[in-house]
Amino acid sequence: MECSEFALRLDDLLDGRLHALGRKSIEEHLGRCPDCRNRHEHAVAVLESVRKLTPPAAHPGFIDQALSRATRPVAGAARSRWRPVLGMALAASLVLGVALGVFLATRPEPVHAVALTIDRPETVRLMFNSAKPLKAATLSLALPENVELVGYNGRRELSWQTDLREGGNLMQLPLVARGVTKQELVASLSHGGSTKMFRLKIEVDNASRPGM
Amino acid sequence: MPPVLPFRTRSAVSPYRRARPDALNFEDLLRPQVEYLYRLAWRFTGSVADAEDLVQDVLIKLFPRTQELLEIDRLRPWLARVLYHQYVDSVRKRARSPVVELVTETEGEDNPLDALPATKDGPEEQAERSGQRERILRALDRLNPEQRAVVAMHDVEGYSLEELETMLETPLGTLKSRLHRARQRLRALLPMEPFLANERVKG
Repeated sequence: MECSEFALRLDDLLDGRLHALGRKSIEEHLGRCPDCRNRHEHAVAVLESVRKLTPPAAHPGFIDQALSRATRPVAGAARSRWRPVLGMALAASLVLGVALGVFLATRPEPVHAVALTIDRPETVRLMFNSAKPLKAATLSLALPENVELVGYNGRRELSWQTDLREGGNLMQLPLVARGVTKQELVASLSHGGSTKMFRLKIEVDNASRPGM
Repeated sequence: MPPVLPFRTRSAVSPYRRARPDALNFEDLLRPQVEYLYRLAWRFTGSVADAEDLVQDVLIKLFPRTQELLEIDRLRPWLARVLYHQYVDSVRKRARSPVVELVTETEGEDNPLDALPATKDGPEEQAERSGQRERILRALDRLNPEQRAVVAMHDVEGYSLEELETMLETPLGTLKSRLHRARQRLRALLPMEPFLANERVKG
């Protein structure tokens, strides 16, 4: 057996999909080829490491709340989610950030703006770039007047804890404008006694409101 | 949402259960599966928050189909398939949505959050703070959703490629190719030395 053939059969070897003869041939090759032996050991070690990754526990009460939310009758509006924020996804953030050319800015930029239409829920996607993982950071939101987080009607201020990973951390906010506003959305990130603030201008288009 | 045909083999659903309100049946059926779904969702996403949201979305979608769920004999693989489709759809949906990057308002000399955003630390600092687990999660993040899912379902959850062929309605050759590329990529992203060094320490 040649090394190139071993490379082609490595997956079958890892999955135990080789018949006795094929397996014997590979074992003989591994016995005399240190490069392929290392390649095999590496492949086994990577696979084992992935298998050993244990998921962190879900938030306490998640199962009860998720089932309850799924079976709760709703009229008209979208059902609220488990939390207002849809977590942080590194892979998606990287892809999106690179695609839009806005990833990992290194100096302050002007305040960004997003446009909302009155009474039409819109998911606003915000990205935090972190140079290092931050455990149990506190994220607080102060919503401008006439803007609500879907499922949290009437609440202007929300706060919760989250872990930030190194690189892009994506946060999705389902927002709905109930009227025009001249204020900004302010997001504060606190960790280890320090706080950082971010501002987002909300531009509300009221053209679609009936009678306006 | 996939059709249920390949999994619909339950011969008899009790008339009593059929007559119960959907919410009770739904909870009976799904409660024992939610933890499994969460675990699989985490393996797809690598994030507690994203995994919880994925599971929540699946439950919301499935509740109106409670009577259909009662007919399914092998519920777990069927649910895994629904979760998979939801995951791939959500990643594609995200890729189509705009992103706003938040920028810092103020910067103080002693503020550790000034690292947001910032240039990367040196290799020594990175090595110090990056554990094996983070390295593996970052490598998994670099896979596309289909590759990541096949690693999660085959390499971790133990579904055979033939089972996945039926579950995901994807040709065997495509699955093999995804798995091959995913593993190859993981090996390229996860250098050999730390793994073998760890093994030696353990041994």
